[in-house]
Amino acid sequence: MADKSKLGMEFPLYSIKVAENKIAEFAAAVAQKEDTDHIKEIYRDVEAAKNAGYENIPIPPTFPTSFAFWTGGGLLATINAVGADLNKLLHSEEEYEYYAPICAGDVITRKMKVVDMYDRGKPGRKGWHVQVTILETELINQRGELVLKARTTFMEK
Amino acid sequence: MMINFDAIAVGDAIPVYTAAPITRTQLVRYAGASGDFNPLHHDETFARMIGMDNVIAHGMFIMGIAGEAITSWIDNKYLRKFSVHFLGMTQPVDLDDFENTKGRATITVRGKVIEKYEENGEKRIRCDIIAQDAQGSRKLTGFFVVALP
Repeated sequence: MADKSKLGMEFPLYSIKVAENKIAEFAAAVAQKEDTDHIKEIYRDVEAAKNAGYENIPIPPTFPTSFAFWTGGGLLATINAVGADLNKLLHSEEEYEYYAPICAGDVITRKMKVVDMYDRGKPGRKGWHVQVTILETELINQRGELVLKARTTFMEK
Repeated sequence: MMINFDAIAVGDAIPVYTAAPITRTQLVRYAGASGDFNPLHHDETFARMIGMDNVIAHGMFIMGIAGEAITSWIDNKYLRKFSVHFLGMTQPVDLDDFENTKGRATITVRGKVIEKYEENGEKRIRCDIIAQDAQGSRKLTGFFVVALP
């Protein structure tokens, strides 16, 4: 079970440069394409992205969650840091607020903290008692602009 | 595609988006692309260890498919908010039993406009969204907000 003393904990800051080929790879994965030649043009062609009004190739809408997986030891380190157990974990909610586009070449700093931890249901009743942990992530670009806020809720059975 | 705020009405459906049947290979591709290497999504021995019959798709893969559905309709740059609750789990198709298992692995995303309003000086619409498999099992529900010209 997650360790409730971790409520309020801020994870170390990490910065990562958004790579063009990583965007294409992600776009291919969620569009279920075999290769990056068949994804939308804005995800593989800088000129097409610029014509569509972006400074550079933009990220797909759910790409931001990956910043947490590519930094700070990834999924396991994040889970271990809050004392949770991978074997019992379910991702139950995800929410993004988009303030400005994130594009290839941007250097994104990830600020993540534990904003809530609570129990739901009755202890002892199997399947009815879960512990909820909510992480809030702010993504800040190289100009110091807050470009995205994400809330990730997971439950432990 | 450019969609005009005045041309949208509450109750309008967003275009239905049906994804290809999800394969284990696609789960591996998504794991690599996203960095989410939870073994639950590719290693059947881990799935069995925690009492499940099969690997399951990442919830975030299903949300990614829903994101594709949205951005096939409206450009990424207009998206202001996207929020989902994950519901049922999704098992991939079995290649040696394709016809019998494709239904559970085929995700369809639907949605409709539920509100038109102004916020932060922008004309915005809020749409609900739902992803279901071909058997009607709900995978996620939620909403998104877009700003429209």
